[in-house]
Amino acid sequence: MIPELGQGMLLVALGLALAGAILSAAGGRTGRPALVESAQHAALGVFALITCSFALLVYAFLTFDFSVRYVAHNTNLGTPFWYRITGVWGALEGSIILWGWMLSLYTLIVILRHRERARELYPWALTVMLAIMAFFITIMTVAAPPFSRLNPVPANGRGLNPLLEDTGMITHPIALYLGFTGFTVPFAFAVAALVTGRLSDTWIALTRRWTITAWYFLSLGLLIGGWWSYHVLGWGGYWAWDPVENAAFMPWLTGTAFLHSVMIQERRRMLKLWNISLVILTFSLTLFGTFLTRSGVIASVHAFTQGSIGIMFLSFLALVVLVALGLLAWRWDALKGQGELDSVVSRESAFLLNNVMLVAAAFTVFFGTVFPLLSEAVRGVKVSVGAPFFNSVNIPLFLGLIFLMGVGPLIAWRRASLDNLRRNFVGPIVVGVVGAAVFYALGVRSALAVLSLALTVFVAATIGLDFWRATRARLRMGESILPAMTGLLARHNRRYGGFVVHLGILVIAVGVTGSQAWSVQTETTLKVGESASLGGYNVRFDRLDAAEESNHARVVGTFTVANGRQPAVMQPSKKYYPQESSPIAGVDYWIGLKEDLYLVLGDFTRDGRQATVKIQVNRLVTVIWIGGLILTLGTVLSVMPERRKAA
Amino acid sequence: MKPKFIGGGLVILAALGYMIYAGVTQSAVYFVTPSELRASPVTGKAYRLGGLVARGSLRWDARTLDLAFTLTDGQASIPVRHKGTAPDLFGEGRGAVVEGTLTSDGYVKATQILAKHSEEYQAPHDKNEAGYKELIKTLQKATK
Amino acid sequence: MSRALRWLIPLAAIPVLALLAYGFRLNPREVPSPLVGRPAPAFALKTFAGQPVSLESLRGKVVVLNFWASWCYPSCYEEAPVLERGWQAWRDRSVVVLGVDIQDTDDKALKFVRDFQLSFPNAPDPSGKVSIDYGIYGVPETFFIDTQGRIRAKHVGALSEEVFRQHVERLSSESQGAAQR
Repeated sequence: MIPELGQGMLLVALGLALAGAILSAAGGRTGRPALVESAQHAALGVFALITCSFALLVYAFLTFDFSVRYVAHNTNLGTPFWYRITGVWGALEGSIILWGWMLSLYTLIVILRHRERARELYPWALTVMLAIMAFFITIMTVAAPPFSRLNPVPANGRGLNPLLEDTGMITHPIALYLGFTGFTVPFAFAVAALVTGRLSDTWIALTRRWTITAWYFLSLGLLIGGWWSYHVLGWGGYWAWDPVENAAFMPWLTGTAFLHSVMIQERRRMLKLWNISLVILTFSLTLFGTFLTRSGVIASVHAFTQGSIGIMFLSFLALVVLVALGLLAWRWDALKGQGELDSVVSRESAFLLNNVMLVAAAFTVFFGTVFPLLSEAVRGVKVSVGAPFFNSVNIPLFLGLIFLMGVGPLIAWRRASLDNLRRNFVGPIVVGVVGAAVFYALGVRSALAVLSLALTVFVAATIGLDFWRATRARLRMGESILPAMTGLLARHNRRYGGFVVHLGILVIAVGVTGSQAWSVQTETTLKVGESASLGGYNVRFDRLDAAEESNHARVVGTFTVANGRQPAVMQPSKKYYPQESSPIAGVDYWIGLKEDLYLVLGDFTRDGRQATVKIQVNRLVTVIWIGGLILTLGTVLSVMPERRKAA
Repeated sequence: MKPKFIGGGLVILAALGYMIYAGVTQSAVYFVTPSELRASPVTGKAYRLGGLVARGSLRWDARTLDLAFTLTDGQASIPVRHKGTAPDLFGEGRGAVVEGTLTSDGYVKATQILAKHSEEYQAPHDKNEAGYKELIKTLQKATK
Repeated sequence: MSRALRWLIPLAAIPVLALLAYGFRLNPREVPSPLVGRPAPAFALKTFAGQPVSLESLRGKVVVLNFWASWCYPSCYEEAPVLERGWQAWRDRSVVVLGVDIQDTDDKALKFVRDFQLSFPNAPDPSGKVSIDYGIYGVPETFFIDTQGRIRAKHVGALSEEVFRQHVERLSSESQGAAQR
């Protein structure tokens, strides 16, 4: 009964979403507020229904209702309580419901925040959001119904994919989806702007915080995914240019471009075409990302093949792209720039170059991801390009982008004079070059690593220079140093929030550079009592043990590790789940600031006397996660309400 | 738009195009089945070979970390060698995809083994069957 | 840009979308099964009802050989009704559905058969020889064998109505065509 109720609610929600979209569009067209209000009520109804439906699904999970097919596939009697809740979004049907729920929540927030302030744009933005929700609810009711039943009821379920029994895997989809769905809002307002012809920066100013928040959650999702990959999957890496990773990275790249490009439109009314194109591109890429993950079109470790869902996603993606680009073509004249670029050496130019490079990177990732399809379509041969391709093209682009991070915020508008360039950049360039020399002297030989670190120093110097000059100006006016600094941060939180985010990116870049350049690994087989060394660590194999847990069994290898200091014990394991045809690796690691020690248990003999172990010393990986924290702080600072009064 | 911007844009486009072209030719990996590889083997070329791990072909030496096996598609078989443990999803009678180069000795030197992960099944590890339960018991007895 | 040229922009998206649609026709994860196209391994089993059944005895019919177990949650539970309906629809057209129960206990297996009211023959494989011959390493797996005794298709995971119908129709019409000649 309860599952039928849940499915019925979704069906009603679909009707409401469609009705609401039509009402809102009619309200926008005719200007009658009553229609828009009805649409608002419909949106509220959709939110309530999806929330209840979601709650019923969670209830089915918690009560082991194996009559529901989705529950039987994702839990069994041994699944721990907490994972019975988080397992709800562990597979296709549940993740679509999560997406739909987030969309409905965002729609409510849009209603509450914008219905008064954006009279012209708001009805159309609401229409777009309800229409997109209607699509996702259609998936929930037609292609991937979460409540379909099994009869007779199996006595037990299959169980959650063991890789998902991890905190990273709980938070990663949530962060990623908050990011993906978040971009729906700027997209909706962009479409509203195109439809109404109000292409000034109103739609941008309204959605600024949405864009930053969505961008942040996407960044967070990517970082958590990298962290999960690093800690759980057992290959010691955090990024593999896997198609599904790429699917989330592409909208991040174009989203970053969009985030920056809109600043130019706000200040100088330029790059309008770029901004509309970027938001359309970003939203389309979020849909493409879901399509890629759910349709099995590209071979990937993560892809789940589900029959009709891929076709539905592709059709909807096609609809969105063609309609949005059609509107863009229709409004072409209004979008053509009001200002021309005065000089190549200017802030506008730097931001334009930023756009170009980020889109180039996104294109590269897209090209590399669909290359197998392309080569098969064109030449009949299936060819793929792996990590070397992505790295060889993207690394120069990323280095260029880091350089621009230092140039953009400081270079003058319109046309930078020689004096302006000298004042702002000579110092940091000198610092960067000195930094390069220092790194070289310290023993860094990889040219790429030296360049990367030198650029990081350069950008950090520009940030420091800017902050110092502003602080000094305040000190001159009689303030003491600490209030001066905090006052700056509070009064100009957008600017300095951005700087802190840039610092976070720099820290991440340092971590990536270090881990790629200086990590070492080895694999060796040890008998009981034998040791191996790597990177200053001595690893001795002590014993093997076997134990049974509630829903799995495991073999644990005990190793004593010493690196000159106090020896300690590490216990990598292999976990055997009844529903999986092979064991899952349980990595054990020590996290440090400078380096992580990483142990993976491989093969072992049945008498427990011999084990093969993979040892990695991964350098500066923790720095990446710290960069993520700094990114968080910067984002929070950025979105805080601005103080108009003097601090 | 000023000509110098169009010029600059074209230069950037050309540079990007070149980098992509170079990247693709350097790192292209060809998807083949064992039959396809037998039909036209090219020594030194990077392949992604997919097949079934032939039963009885798996050889693993824990001390030297040498892994050897044969991938087959029912018609042709290709020997593969790899240094290091195989991933957890790997095993005889199961599908696997390897990435590596064809050596002049006729075997594929695999740098990576990707094993197929299927969500469809349930594996035969039941109370009545050996499988991992027996492994656990054996280990518990041996390491007491 | 002229009024007409601007519409190139949305049109430019079409080749990309077409490329993605093309991707649907391909199955990149398919690893070829060495058994497909080969003669099906012979077997001789005794059904739960005590009747002997062998591959030999089924020569001339299309055989849907389904490997299952009572502990296979929930995929075997999903496909059991599909197999039963398929059996009912095709039994008069020289198609046989045969279930092989592996690594199971008889009482649980019989309960499964009773719960789903399966009327097609089901046999246990106590020694596991048949499942080894067919390269089974998980359940459910279904093999579609033609009238000549060759394995023509293998399906892994729960069988759906469409897949069942697709394969059975194809093999059935082939054999009919051959018979008419």
